[in-house]
Amino acid sequence: MTLKTPEKSTRRYGKAEGTDYQSPEVWSKVTGKAVYGIDHAMPGMLHGKILRSPYPHARIKKVDTTAAEALPGVRAVLTGTELESKPFGIAVEDELPLAVDKVRYIGDEVAAVAAVDLQTAERAIKAIKVEYEELPAVYDPAEALQEGAPQLHDNFPGNVAWERELERGSSSAAFAGADVVVEESFTIPAIHPAYLEPISCIAVDDPYTGITLHTALQSPDAVRKIVAGALNYPLSKVHVNGPVMGGGFGGRVYGNLKVYILSAMLAIKSGRPVKIQLTREEEFTAGRPMIAAAIKMKMAVKSDGTILGREADIITDNGAYSGQAPWVSKTLSERNDSVYRIPGIKTRVRLAYTNKIPTGQYRAYGNQVANFATESLIDMAAKKLGLDPLEMRLKNCVREGDITVHGLQVGKCGLSECLQAAAREIGWDHKKAGHGYGLSVAIHANGSLVFDKNFRGASALARLELDGRITLFTGEQDYGQGTHGAFAQIAAKALDVRPAQITVESKETKTAPFSTGALAMRQTTVGGKAIQLAAEDLREKIFKAAAELTGEPVTMKNSVLNTMSGRTLELGEIAYHYHNNTSGLNLTGEGKFVPEESDYDESGYGNISVAYSFAAHAVELELDKTTGAITVNRLVAAHDSGRIVNHLTARGQVYGGVAQGIGMSCFEGCLFDEGRMANATLADYKIPTALDLPEIDPLFIEIEDPVGPYGSKGLGEIVMVPVIGAVANAAADAAGVRITDLPLTAEKIYQAMAGWECEQ
Amino acid sequence: MSYLIASSLDEVLTSLRDGSGKARVVAGGTDLYLQDLPYGLVDLSCLKETTVIEQEDDLISLGSAVTHTAAASSPLVLSRARALAEGCEVIGSPQIRNIGTIGGNVVNAAPAADAAVALVGLGAEAVIIDIEGNIRQEAVENLYWEYNRSLIDSTREVMISLQFKPCMDGEGSAFTRFAARRALALPMVNAAARVKLENGLVKEIRLVAAPVNPAPTRLVKTEELVIGKPVNDQTISMVERSAAEEVEVRGSLLRCSARYRLHLVGVLVSRALKTAADRAMGQGKAGE
Repeated sequence: MTLKTPEKSTRRYGKAEGTDYQSPEVWSKVTGKAVYGIDHAMPGMLHGKILRSPYPHARIKKVDTTAAEALPGVRAVLTGTELESKPFGIAVEDELPLAVDKVRYIGDEVAAVAAVDLQTAERAIKAIKVEYEELPAVYDPAEALQEGAPQLHDNFPGNVAWERELERGSSSAAFAGADVVVEESFTIPAIHPAYLEPISCIAVDDPYTGITLHTALQSPDAVRKIVAGALNYPLSKVHVNGPVMGGGFGGRVYGNLKVYILSAMLAIKSGRPVKIQLTREEEFTAGRPMIAAAIKMKMAVKSDGTILGREADIITDNGAYSGQAPWVSKTLSERNDSVYRIPGIKTRVRLAYTNKIPTGQYRAYGNQVANFATESLIDMAAKKLGLDPLEMRLKNCVREGDITVHGLQVGKCGLSECLQAAAREIGWDHKKAGHGYGLSVAIHANGSLVFDKNFRGASALARLELDGRITLFTGEQDYGQGTHGAFAQIAAKALDVRPAQITVESKETKTAPFSTGALAMRQTTVGGKAIQLAAEDLREKIFKAAAELTGEPVTMKNSVLNTMSGRTLELGEIAYHYHNNTSGLNLTGEGKFVPEESDYDESGYGNISVAYSFAAHAVELELDKTTGAITVNRLVAAHDSGRIVNHLTARGQVYGGVAQGIGMSCFEGCLFDEGRMANATLADYKIPTALDLPEIDPLFIEIEDPVGPYGSKGLGEIVMVPVIGAVANAAADAAGVRITDLPLTAEKIYQAMAGWECEQ
Repeated sequence: MSYLIASSLDEVLTSLRDGSGKARVVAGGTDLYLQDLPYGLVDLSCLKETTVIEQEDDLISLGSAVTHTAAASSPLVLSRARALAEGCEVIGSPQIRNIGTIGGNVVNAAPAADAAVALVGLGAEAVIIDIEGNIRQEAVENLYWEYNRSLIDSTREVMISLQFKPCMDGEGSAFTRFAARRALALPMVNAAARVKLENGLVKEIRLVAAPVNPAPTRLVKTEELVIGKPVNDQTISMVERSAAEEVEVRGSLLRCSARYRLHLVGVLVSRALKTAADRAMGQGKAGE
């Protein structure tokens, strides 16, 4: 087919003027001055260590801490029985700070100590004697759901942590009327976000202010609520003060709740600040990777390529405790359906408890997991029908004004433009012989109501300082995405000042406005809108104060106020005027963004977000047929994230997201041997190195969106979504066989080409 | 604990003697520092004897504390022992290559250490001195006791250097490896070849693969098959089959299955031989 070609090279999309602002925040990082959580220490601080279960499933018969408590330098020892805690959790309350009667995975928290130094704490942990009675364990989620499988939790019979059956439209009619049905089973392992700084927390218990957790979190407000509940403290007595974060990628939305709760409990018991820092091995064996999934999916298609329906039977692997897995399972099982016009869907998803590492979440929240299945099926259908995979996607992809099968209302949508731009740039019309080519598309919500239906937006404050600078107070965290730089740009535009005049404060929950958190790709669209509104409010207040001072109307340009009569005023003068007149207040703008229009019903049907971002990725790779090794040469990432606020950080988001997508496609995954993670080091859990990455070409299709600040939409999570499908399709194109089990290792591809039975 | 940066070989031997089994030799330390450290460490990385790269008469000598970076970028190694340069340039990361040493790569006794495999491919021998001053010379492949355990006792023996014959006219060497990613990954298989051609036929040959045994392993049967033959497509296919038949390998959850590893042995050994033979024939320039 012939591609609709934009007038100029698509590369020009990325070169808008004046949007490469470099936030001064980056300098503290690149000069090594930034203080990360693991760098932190406090006077009198103790070191905490956690005793973990060596068994995947066992009854605790006795815990003897006598020898540990007798060690010189040990200040506090905690066991599960003495705590009398009630269960806590994120989506499901199924965890205790320390195990009481049973351990459910290798790594389960059994006891905790605080001592004057790390060596003493480690010795104390070894001195605790625990008697276990081993129980039969179950590792495979499908086996866990079968009758007679070992049961993990008494109140979750059948090991079902969460399940859902859903039908929208008529999927049976779709399959009855289909010309072609494609069907396949896909497996995706648990993926750890592998942020380079392991989680650490210093808890301080102060009789006056309460508990303060010095730890970097994507959602400090969500975590303090859970910690307050677990400690039985009033919410206003639990604070988070975040140091600089060494990577989050979704893994630090809730981080590791056990670390925060136990460091707080040890601080309360010992009366001293307590630091718990996970080792890399603990990060892997007791951290919170994204759920593994087994997806059986089939798709009904008409001979012209029109998708009629799709059915899926999905089992996700919860591990021993739930974390966010029910929510991730929900997004995994439905978000992908909305990228195409699919009249009918039928889904069954079951989240099973197993005696393995409890799970959490990762950038894209499972959307990328389903993308692997859906996009593979699209290519399979296109092949069966003799259609161009690009043409088939263009035929079915959602467009502006659509209401998707789950009720998402598609506003501005450049998905088909993304597809055409990515295909054109990769050379879809003049493919190199012997190379593999693949496409994939994605939709991702910009902030989602499903976290809390009653709380849907964001708020912010913009304060004029006495020197004329401006401080923005927000609960939205920046851990490298460039959010704060973008906020400074948004406020600068609203106020007509320079971004460098603006500082963003978010680290302390005592002073920052509440935020749902850096999740669900909501920050620029939702958080940024609140910033824009706060800055506009401050601008009005500045005009009002200036008019009061001068007795005439004013205008503002480049941070300077001008009166009708020609008088000029600096912002600092207005700040002082207001400060003196109010005996010390600062002019402060308030921004409240409350998106009223979004909603959903009991079945989850509805417009769950204020806006949706779109993407299409195209991959070109080469295959070494003698070994099965693939070399991804190039990935073109075309994104509709509305008007880009900052092209520098936007490109950074694309490079990082693609790198993580390549990791998940080709390298990563938690490997288990009888419930024990076999690759619990960064040497064996292989994230891609710079040498393993393709040339990455970001293209921005900048269609202004009416909701977000100045036409912008989110770009964080969506980048990872299409990578996996695009790489899988390109690999299948080159190899002539399709691998349906991630990661796409050379061995699997070679085995499939050679026709070997799978073995390990 | 004590750490001595020795300024002479005598000082190394004296310190080890004084340590009575509680002190041991350290060079780059990139593997040692991951383990429980002994009471005393004697650093030999600043000695002339252990850092030399030279050719004398018909022998190349590389000090045991020559770093991977130094070996990979040495004009002598590049021109006369290309397999070693290729083995050294893929170890770990740039930081590890700047500190890790070729001697350490052998004494650490990992079964598929890249420099060690290349050295066995080249036919290198280690020069070893003990604390009593006895000097012996041993083929690198004979220095392995078991998996990850060297026959060299670092509390009383010191590897000074590694020696091998340079690749002269009509000779070539090559190293190949296959791993899950392009850096910071142990190989599923690595292989080295050294070949001497005369009138287009193989006169001498060394083919090495790992991990097959605790030590990098010569494929003697396959070598014999190749002697007297030209290195053409037919020979390469034969080597691929024979190499995979000659060895037994283990599979592991972390790397790959035994069957795939066996397949890779054939592929990598034949690729190494092909490249080494191309170099032996290449424009009359030795080792290119």
